[in-house]
Amino acid sequence: MADYENFVRARLPRLLRYATMLTGERELAGDLVQEVLVKAYRRWPRIRDADNPDRYVMRMVTNGYLSWRRSRSARLVAVGEVPDEARPDDFASDHALREDMWQRLARLPRRQRAVLVLRYYEQWDDAEIADLLDCARATVRAHAHRALTTLRSGMAVDHMAEARES
Amino acid sequence: MNADQTEVERLVRDAFAAHEHIAPDGDAVFAAARARIHRRRAVLNRPLVVAAGVVALTLAAATAVVLNRPDPTPADGLAGPAEQLRTAGPTSGASAEPAVADLPMPFALGWLPEGSVEYVARRINIGGSAEDPGTPLYGGEYMLTVTADDQVLRIDVQQFRMVSVDQAAFKSGPGRSVTVNGQPGVESANPDGLGAYELYVAHPDGGSMYVNVSNPPGGTVPAARLGEVGRRIAQDLRFPGTATVTPAFGLRDLPGDLRVCAFEVAKRSDAGPGVNTRYSVGTCEVLPPIMVGTGGQDVPTGTPGEPVQGRETRYVSENGHQRLWVLDAVDGSAVQLGGPVPVAQLYDIAGRLVLPD
Repeated sequence: MADYENFVRARLPRLLRYATMLTGERELAGDLVQEVLVKAYRRWPRIRDADNPDRYVMRMVTNGYLSWRRSRSARLVAVGEVPDEARPDDFASDHALREDMWQRLARLPRRQRAVLVLRYYEQWDDAEIADLLDCARATVRAHAHRALTTLRSGMAVDHMAEARES
Repeated sequence: MNADQTEVERLVRDAFAAHEHIAPDGDAVFAAARARIHRRRAVLNRPLVVAAGVVALTLAAATAVVLNRPDPTPADGLAGPAEQLRTAGPTSGASAEPAVADLPMPFALGWLPEGSVEYVARRINIGGSAEDPGTPLYGGEYMLTVTADDQVLRIDVQQFRMVSVDQAAFKSGPGRSVTVNGQPGVESANPDGLGAYELYVAHPDGGSMYVNVSNPPGGTVPAARLGEVGRRIAQDLRFPGTATVTPAFGLRDLPGDLRVCAFEVAKRSDAGPGVNTRYSVGTCEVLPPIMVGTGGQDVPTGTPGEPVQGRETRYVSENGHQRLWVLDAVDGSAVQLGGPVPVAQLYDIAGRLVLPD
């Protein structure tokens, strides 16, 4: 299984970053990818012979995240509410803006977050995302639109202006 | 698309990019997966043990000898922060020995660009190879920023004990071969792309060293400069490290086959004084481990629990994942323990926290 090891070693940093963007937490990302690596080993002949092994494993990570049995949303709500209205002081720096957005991303439904990660982090186009998520492009656009609307809500106009200037 | 939506998209991209560094260590994840695949228990030495009478973090003896070998040339840029950490560390009241000893990093940065250096995190991971699971492998990581002339560079340097140069992959596309100090390496051919400048260079003892130099979101340092800095950092890596870090609290005498899989001292996310200390505790075979640390965004909430070391506690149980906070444990802050384990196990570990007076 040297080819499995080589495959994993070459892709692991990217998979872990991707899983981190999906889950928002290092431990969960490690857990998710580890599960995928174990499953991938068992399915290795099929993955190796797939048209696009990279895409196959990305789909495994994505599906693993979407079907995660633990309720991440419950955990995140428990550890701290994101304020509905950001305070001006929070926007004193780019750091605060990014952290605020990171918190808002954590509250999105998983499928919406996955679409944003694929679109804005992995920089995939909607057709690729639709293929990975096994849905229509219109569905991808709808998820993205809803997610962006949610993220925008609660951010006051002056804060948005500040963000544009930063 | 209106301007607000465009700004939200930009913020989303920036938020993702700004959190890349929290991705877990690949070696540890792969080692854990491999152990599960082969259904065998890793026979790693306990890397963190208790010295008699002193609650000290000590690397496994054989490794400690190597890691503590004096570095012929002090690593600039590290002595200051390391010294500060050492000074700030808690000490036991009756003994001159520190309550929690410094932990040496496996390598040092011999050069950094001029500017104000701020360490985001220092991390030590412990894993094992498939070929020799009985020998612990220590990998280190420095995450830092250097600010000069209003320009900020983000720098991440890691030791990948189980990733060779020919397994390197770049998000920005194919890499190109380079040689650093006679060692083969590969660097990103397109440092303008995602991931910015990345370089893997072979470590003489196996595995590779990874250097990543990038702009923070909105940064404007040219790609050529990122490459210059990255290559120079790689040229001046030194082994073993001389930098040491001191945790704000310790762990003693972990129960059963639990051990520390990783240790991290990191900048506080709320920009407050001091640093956060975090341990990853488990068998190091199956993730997720139990996390024990200060800081984070978690607010101690939940149900009041049994006191630990005379301190109040709170706990929350959510879908099999337990969290326990020991309040007012380190400089007025809580230590949080969390993992998919019975809460009794968290209490057991909490009782083994070594907290400053």
